[in-house]
Amino acid sequence: MLAAAIPLARAQNNYEIQVYGADTVAPRTTMVELHSNFTADGQKNFVGTQYPDNHAEHETIEITQGINDWSEVGFYIFTSERSGQGVQWVGDHLRPRVRIPEKWRWPVGVSLSTEVGYQRARYAPDTWDWEIRPIIDKTSGRWYWAVNPALERAWHGPDVKLGIDFSPSVKVSYDFTKKITGGVEYYADYGSITNIASLHDQQQQIFPAIDLNVSPDWEFNFGVGIGPTAATDHWIIKCIVGRRFQWGKKR
Amino acid sequence: MLDNECMVGARDSNGGALLRNFTGMFTSRRKFLRRASFIGASVALSGAAQSCSPLFALNQAGAPAPDYRIEIAEIEWELSPKKKIRTVAYDGQIPGRLLNLTEGKPVTIEIVNHLDREEIVHWHGQWIPVEADGAMEEGSPMTPAGGSTLVQFTPRPAGLHWYHTHAMAGHDLKLGLFTGQSGVLHVAAANDLGSYDQQQFIVLHDWEPYYSASGDGSLMVMYVCGSINGRMLGYDAPIQVRGGQRVLFHILNASATEPHWLSLPGHRFKVLALDGAPVATEASVETLRLGPAERVTALVTMDTPGVFVLGEPRDEFRNAGMGTVVEYAGRSSKPVAPRDVKLQWDYRAFADPKPVVRKPDVIMPLVFTSRFKGHGALDQWMINGKSWPTSEPILLREGLRHRLVFDNRSTDDHPIHLHRHNFELISVRGAALSGVHKDVVIVEAGTIVEADLVANNPGDTLFHCHQQDHMDSGFMALFRYS
Repeated sequence: MLAAAIPLARAQNNYEIQVYGADTVAPRTTMVELHSNFTADGQKNFVGTQYPDNHAEHETIEITQGINDWSEVGFYIFTSERSGQGVQWVGDHLRPRVRIPEKWRWPVGVSLSTEVGYQRARYAPDTWDWEIRPIIDKTSGRWYWAVNPALERAWHGPDVKLGIDFSPSVKVSYDFTKKITGGVEYYADYGSITNIASLHDQQQQIFPAIDLNVSPDWEFNFGVGIGPTAATDHWIIKCIVGRRFQWGKKR
Repeated sequence: MLDNECMVGARDSNGGALLRNFTGMFTSRRKFLRRASFIGASVALSGAAQSCSPLFALNQAGAPAPDYRIEIAEIEWELSPKKKIRTVAYDGQIPGRLLNLTEGKPVTIEIVNHLDREEIVHWHGQWIPVEADGAMEEGSPMTPAGGSTLVQFTPRPAGLHWYHTHAMAGHDLKLGLFTGQSGVLHVAAANDLGSYDQQQFIVLHDWEPYYSASGDGSLMVMYVCGSINGRMLGYDAPIQVRGGQRVLFHILNASATEPHWLSLPGHRFKVLALDGAPVATEASVETLRLGPAERVTALVTMDTPGVFVLGEPRDEFRNAGMGTVVEYAGRSSKPVAPRDVKLQWDYRAFADPKPVVRKPDVIMPLVFTSRFKGHGALDQWMINGKSWPTSEPILLREGLRHRLVFDNRSTDDHPIHLHRHNFELISVRGAALSGVHKDVVIVEAGTIVEADLVANNPGDTLFHCHQQDHMDSGFMALFRYS
């Protein structure tokens, strides 16, 4: 997830803002998602050669293919649009993921995602990076929670020397109705696991968010994020629209 | 004829419970001689041995001697060499022993409960008094933990029925029909269902249930594996047939929640009876559909020599074990599995060619709805807006023809069951029919099924969805004779 992959004290790139659930996309199913994130109040100045993201519209296309009932592969196309810059391709990521099969009947959902990819230096100083993301979630009655204690590593760029970064995210939600779920999502980047940053330099974002469950084929998520620390974009509006496509022979 | 007096002495060399009084019922007896090992064998076996003592005490006290005894105990069961499960079963085997009774001939059955909780056995499909029916909601007594009860009734009607636990499971997927507490109850009539060369009893069951999110956003029960007659596909002795034989299949879906389809490649099923009741038209079909608790009696003429899988045509269920091999004499090859089968079932195929119109005395709308309780919870189910146990009894008038209008306004199919009676289907999806009598009918999502009930067996009568998770979440009502 590129948003959390950018080490602190640098401008953020909010391309995919999502706490992962443990489910994987079903086999013979393709999930296509459009992540639209607008930074209403963000980094206003260049950081080195990197563009500011204030008033930037980031559109990310995520295509995820279910392999079997315990794995999937996701592919991302990141773009950015900002006044004076037009629509720009930012980079691509590949994200394989495996999960504990449901039939193992664990009390919580568990999956493990890893993501690797490239982004242009104009949009992120580290052009190659890697992430490993454990995912734990649980639905109980009307309540749902998910925890993603992600670890990230720059492979090419100025932050290679910083080592492994800790970027957890958490979601708690409540089913108000069958179709409407409301909750809070939390995203953070605490800095290197061997040298946790001060609160001032940490990235912290809190998103009150709504999920609409209008159809098993569609996914809607909308939220407004608040960044209370100096190193965080202060206001972000995010929206995810997803559509599942089933194909192949039905068993 | 106390079948398992003393059970310890009645076990075969493989450790399976020997069906001394029923072996004549099976042309392939070994199918029913399962390798079962009791958990804590000393407890179960000593329980079986000890159960002779109270029986004698009963006899000495003048109580009727039971014709059969059913022992309820935990077992470890081998679905396949790689898949062992722990569950509760009857008489140490899955399915429970075949009980072959005679219509009109009274029977006494002792139920011995080795569990540390109450249990109750329901005689599904039998028109018997409340005291014997086996539903605590009607007032039938439960068998206490570590205790026993005697049940007496006169079997009727004839046909393929079954006996099973009627205990609630709640949210515990190790209770109720999720266990192995089920067996075939075959009531023989003076007039048999036709000539045949051999008969086979087929019991479907799903195992290792777990909760999963359904497509409509509510929680549902899924299973890791399934079995026919307690064994996964490939791990049971094949059903041996000869070319030209007529094989009468008695098929029961004993799954707690899952409807199943069955096919036998190259063969057709001539359906003779549904839920034990002879059908008006003995139609031949390629595929059978059985909702939970439904039964089909069908004749198959063995006219396509080879080796086949009698099983689920849906890969995911068959690959999970739902199948058994049918092998012609002298043939040995890789079994041909049912594939590319059209899943099509219509009760009207077995109805009178021209529906007989009958006028009801009373029309009773029964509207099925659900209430969302969260994506991580089971829905709450309601009949006419009320959930069991808070609903009021629905009144019947003895002798009258009640038209039950099953109006399923939910997004699930429901196998609707009525205790101690059966009903005649009057319409399905707006199309009239007659001549199909059932005690379980699948009412598909968003459809209406009409059925006529003639109230002729006084006493409280339970009415419910036979999906264990639905009936435990309010989908029940009591019919009461006024």
